Amino acid sequence: MARDIYAYECTECGTLHYPFRMRCKNCGELEPFQFKTVALPKRGKLLTFTKVYNLPAEYEVATLGLGIVELENGIRVTGQVELDDPKIGMDVVGVVDIVRQETYDSFWGFIFRAA
Amino acid sequence: MRDVYVAGIGITSFTRLEYPLAEIAAFPSMLAMQDSGLTDIEQVYVANMGGPRVNHQTALASAVVDSLSLTPAGAAAIENGPASGSAAIKEGFLAVASGMHDIVLVTGAERMREVNNLEATDFIATLTHPLAEYIYGVTLPSHAAMFTRLYMEQYGVTERHLAMVSVKNQNNAMLNEFAHLHQPITIEGILDSPEAMTNNPYIAEPLRFFDACPVSDGGAAVILVSEKVAKSIDRPLIKLAGIGQATDSHAVHERENPTDLLAVRRAAELSFGMAGLEPSDVDVAELHDAFTILEIAESEEVGFFPKGEGHIALEKGETALDGRLPINPSGGLKGKGHPVGATGVGQAHEIVHQLRGEAGERQVADAKVGFTCNFGGFGNNVICLTFVRED
Repeated sequence: MARDIYAYECTECGTLHYPFRMRCKNCGELEPFQFKTVALPKRGKLLTFTKVYNLPAEYEVATLGLGIVELENGIRVTGQVELDDPKIGMDVVGVVDIVRQETYDSFWGFIFRAA
Repeated sequence: MRDVYVAGIGITSFTRLEYPLAEIAAFPSMLAMQDSGLTDIEQVYVANMGGPRVNHQTALASAVVDSLSLTPAGAAAIENGPASGSAAIKEGFLAVASGMHDIVLVTGAERMREVNNLEATDFIATLTHPLAEYIYGVTLPSHAAMFTRLYMEQYGVTERHLAMVSVKNQNNAMLNEFAHLHQPITIEGILDSPEAMTNNPYIAEPLRFFDACPVSDGGAAVILVSEKVAKSIDRPLIKLAGIGQATDSHAVHERENPTDLLAVRRAAELSFGMAGLEPSDVDVAELHDAFTILEIAESEEVGFFPKGEGHIALEKGETALDGRLPINPSGGLKGKGHPVGATGVGQAHEIVHQLRGEAGERQVADAKVGFTCNFGGFGNNVICLTFVRED
């Protein structure tokens, strides 16, 4: 099953937010939770990236690629990247998979690869 | 609002300390009381980030006020990430400025070496967005690395510039008896020689080992007082003339321009505005160089140099100890160390030391105006302080 990561669209003014926030950044509506969830697109451009060598203890890999991606709808997300030759501005496509595994919990998020 | 002065200062070595967290907060407080001759403390603020998580200790301020035999004075702990120290100074300032108290002790303490480096890195990473950043394995070095990559692309900063910050600050730290790193380094050893990749491996590309601050234990304290008290004791008059604080988005990716540190810019503007001074008035500054790139970027955002030209000022030696505007004469977080909750108080300690003319071999000549930038989160909670010597 294809999974999604969701952005939050203000039901008053239509502004999209990611991640969730209690109050719309644009219209400032004061009624709590006035958002509807909207699946984020998977394609975008790589804005910046790094390869990390000193990982938190539960990662059983030597290095981890991380990046910030600007998706097709203009929303930016942080995610893991699996790219042989990353370049700023390159086209990437994301899948939603397990990005962190703890003893009793799995966390799902974006992993981006070359488009 | 009443004027507020720094009457006393104290500091521990920033290193691995083998005594409990409450004592790391209390020891520099004793020195600050000795320094000022003031013991009638009415209120104590204790800055600390990791006590509950790293040291399994809550309600730290209650332990510290009692250890100092200052009960029944008021006491509260302040946790504001790596900007806890300056946040506590701001609270101390407000307590005196409001007229509620005349003598307030602000102490900061951290004991991070109780856990190993992986756990310490993970502990700091808990300040990132839990669902949009932390779950991916994002750490502070990774944020700094992604920021550096963009800065290099946009402004022509190179690994050589970063290495120059490391060398400058670790050499400054050689002159500071309280500094964590007493290890002279050279550009050749960390960048140019065949051994450089062994001496200085990548931790998060393009950042290397010597681009990051060490994990330190340490404490620092200041005593803030009203003008009347400050003039009743025989210490130089150092006024806390400006405080600016600003915040920014929790998730770094939400910022419109990811190479802007808007909270730094706004906090500095507010601090200078309150003091009635300009960035060009500053004689000496302590900027939050948890990573070498941050010293360069902050030196631009606080207004010392135009955006994108901080690395050029560095190249020209303007920020060296004998330069036009010495930055991080203490060694900064890079050389002096970064006991997170104590860092903001440690920066204030160095500036007061400098403005009093007591900094010994690392003394900046004729320093009258000093400035600190304490950078919390990855730039999402920043406090800038402006200090002025009045006599």
